[in-house]
Amino acid sequence: MKTITLQYFAVLREQAGCSEERVTTSASTPAELYAEARARHGFTLPPALLRVAVNEEFRDWSSPLAANDRVVFIPPVAGG
Amino acid sequence: MRAFAFSTTPIDTAAGRAALADPACGGYATFEGWVRNHNEGRAVLRLEYEAFAALAEREGERIVDEAIARFGVARAACIHRVGDLALGEMAVWVGVSARHRAEAFAACRYIIDEVKHRVPIWKKEHYVDGASGWVNCERCALPGEHAATATAGQFHDHNHGQDQEHRHAHAQHAPPATAAADYSRQIALPEVGEAGQQRLHDGAVLVIGAGGLGVPVLQYLAAAGVGRIGIVDGDVIEASNLHRQPLYGVGDVGKFKAAVAAARLRAAHPTTSLAVHAERATAGNLNDWLARYDAVVECSDNFATKFVVNDAAVSLGKPAVFASVYQYEGQLQVYLPRADWPCLRCLWSEAPRDGLVGNCAQAGVLGPVPATLGAMQAMQALKILLGLTVESVPALHVFDLLGMHWRTIRSARNPGCDHSPRILQATMIDPTTLELEFPTLAAARASGLTLVDIREAWERATDDPAEQIEWHLPLSAFMQGAAALPQDGRYLLVCAHGVRSLALTEHLRSLGYADVYSLTGGLAVY
Repeated sequence: MKTITLQYFAVLREQAGCSEERVTTSASTPAELYAEARARHGFTLPPALLRVAVNEEFRDWSSPLAANDRVVFIPPVAGG
Repeated sequence: MRAFAFSTTPIDTAAGRAALADPACGGYATFEGWVRNHNEGRAVLRLEYEAFAALAEREGERIVDEAIARFGVARAACIHRVGDLALGEMAVWVGVSARHRAEAFAACRYIIDEVKHRVPIWKKEHYVDGASGWVNCERCALPGEHAATATAGQFHDHNHGQDQEHRHAHAQHAPPATAAADYSRQIALPEVGEAGQQRLHDGAVLVIGAGGLGVPVLQYLAAAGVGRIGIVDGDVIEASNLHRQPLYGVGDVGKFKAAVAAARLRAAHPTTSLAVHAERATAGNLNDWLARYDAVVECSDNFATKFVVNDAAVSLGKPAVFASVYQYEGQLQVYLPRADWPCLRCLWSEAPRDGLVGNCAQAGVLGPVPATLGAMQAMQALKILLGLTVESVPALHVFDLLGMHWRTIRSARNPGCDHSPRILQATMIDPTTLELEFPTLAAARASGLTLVDIREAWERATDDPAEQIEWHLPLSAFMQGAAALPQDGRYLLVCAHGVRSLALTEHLRSLGYADVYSLTGGLAVY
C-alpha cells in the first residue's frame, strides 16, 4: 500500500466534490487508480477520453506508480 | 427620442436639448452643421440631401451608441435633415450631455466626424451658375478627387457648449480628432523595442471565435498594434454572452459577433486591418484563410472546431494557440511548427462529443475565467509575432482560478499521432455569412455567385478590374427604387471598400434575399 495525492479537474472535480485528495491504495498503475476512483465517485468519463499526468508529466495509463506520486486526471474541456 | 433620426422639417434643437437634459450632467455640447454658400470655390445656392434611410439610420444609431460607450457620456443624439435646404439652414444637429465638459465635447466631435464619414447620405449641391452635382458621403467615396471634395469641410462649424462652457468655433477644415496610437510603453521593453513594434505591425493573426476567449485576444492584439487580424465566428451575440464578452452590449444582441467586434476594434485602433468571416471555421474554408496569416489563436467553444484549427495549423506550418475553459478552470496549449512539438491530436487523439465534456451554457462560467485564458493566449500570440521564445518545452497549462493553482504538465509528441488532418469535408457557403473573401476577383467569379458592382458610374475607371463584372447596378439606383435583383439569384455585391456592399447585403437579406453576400474589403483588396 502507498499514499498518493490525486487531483481532479473540470467535470471530475465536480463529480468528486473536491479538487484534491490523498488516498492509500494498492493500485500499481494510473489505470487501476482511476478505476478505484471511478467506483468511489461515480465518474462518468471513460479513461479513454482522459489524460493522466504523474508528477507534472503526461504518462501512459500502464506506467508504474510510486509512493507519494502526485497524479492528475485531466479531462478535455472545450468552453470558450 | 431616437439616437439618430432623419427629419424632413427644420430641426427642433430645443426639443433635442430637452430630451438630453439630465440632473446628473454638468455639461451639454452641441454641434450644428449649416448650409454654406460655397464649396470648393463654387458658389452654392441650395442643397438637397438624400439618404438610404434604413441603412443610414442603423449606422447612425451605431455611431451614437459607440460614442456613448467610448466616452462614457450620459446621453447623445443626432438629427440629420433630408430634402431641400436653403442657405443658412441647419443640415445636421448633434447633442451630448455628460457629467463633465471634456467627454461631452469629445463625444460630440466623434459623432459628427463618424456620421460624415460612415452614414450613406448623398448631397446634391445646386450652384449659382445653374449647375448641380452630387457629393457622396466620405466613406462611400474613392480616394482621390471625389474624396477630397467630400472631406473638405462642408459645414460651417458652430459649437455651443453650455453651463460652464461657451465656445464658438469656425473651423471649416478641422483635422480629424483621432490621436495617433502610442506604443511607447511596450516599445520600452527590451524584448519589444522599435523593431518588435514593427514586427507586430507587419504581423497577421487569425482568431477563431469572438466569444469569452476571443474578445480579450482581439482587444489585446489590436491594442498592441498587430497590423492585420482576421475574425472567424458564425454566431450572433446573445444576451447570455454579455457577462463574459464585454466588448458587446445589450444593443448588439442578434448581430454577428465577428462584425460587431471588427467595428469596435476599427473604431478603437484604426491602424489595424480587420477581416470578418461571419461563419464557422471548417476543414473546407480554414486553410484558404489561414494561409494568409502568421499564426492562429483558437478561441472556439467546441472540439470539432479546435481539431479543424489544429489540422489547418499543422498542415500549413503555422503556430497555433489553443485554450478552453470549464467553469473556473482553463487549459492552454501552444502548437509550434517543429518536428518535435506535439499538436492537439497528440494530446487528445479523438474529438470527444461536446456533450460529454460540458460547455459554458451547461456548466456555467464566470467572465474573468475566459478573460484570463484569453489574455494569456494574446500574450503567447504576441511572443510568436515578436520572435520570442514562446515556451522552452511543450506543455499543457491547467489553471484553477477558484483554488488559484497553475499546473504546467510537460507534453511530448505522441508516437501514435502522425500530425495529419483527419477531418476533411468540403463545405458549402454558410448561408448565415454576410461577407465572403476571395483571393482574386477571378476566384470570386468562379464561385458560382453573380457579381454585382454597386459603385456609382463615376467611380469606375477605364482600366478597372471590375470591368470583368457584367452587372452594374449602382447603390443610388437601389436607393431610389430604380434597381432590383431577381429574388432567386445568388449574388456577390462588390463596391470599393466593402462598406456599401455589406450595408446593401444586410438590407437585401432583410427583404428576403437568402443568397446575397458582400465582397470583404471590396475591390481595394485587389
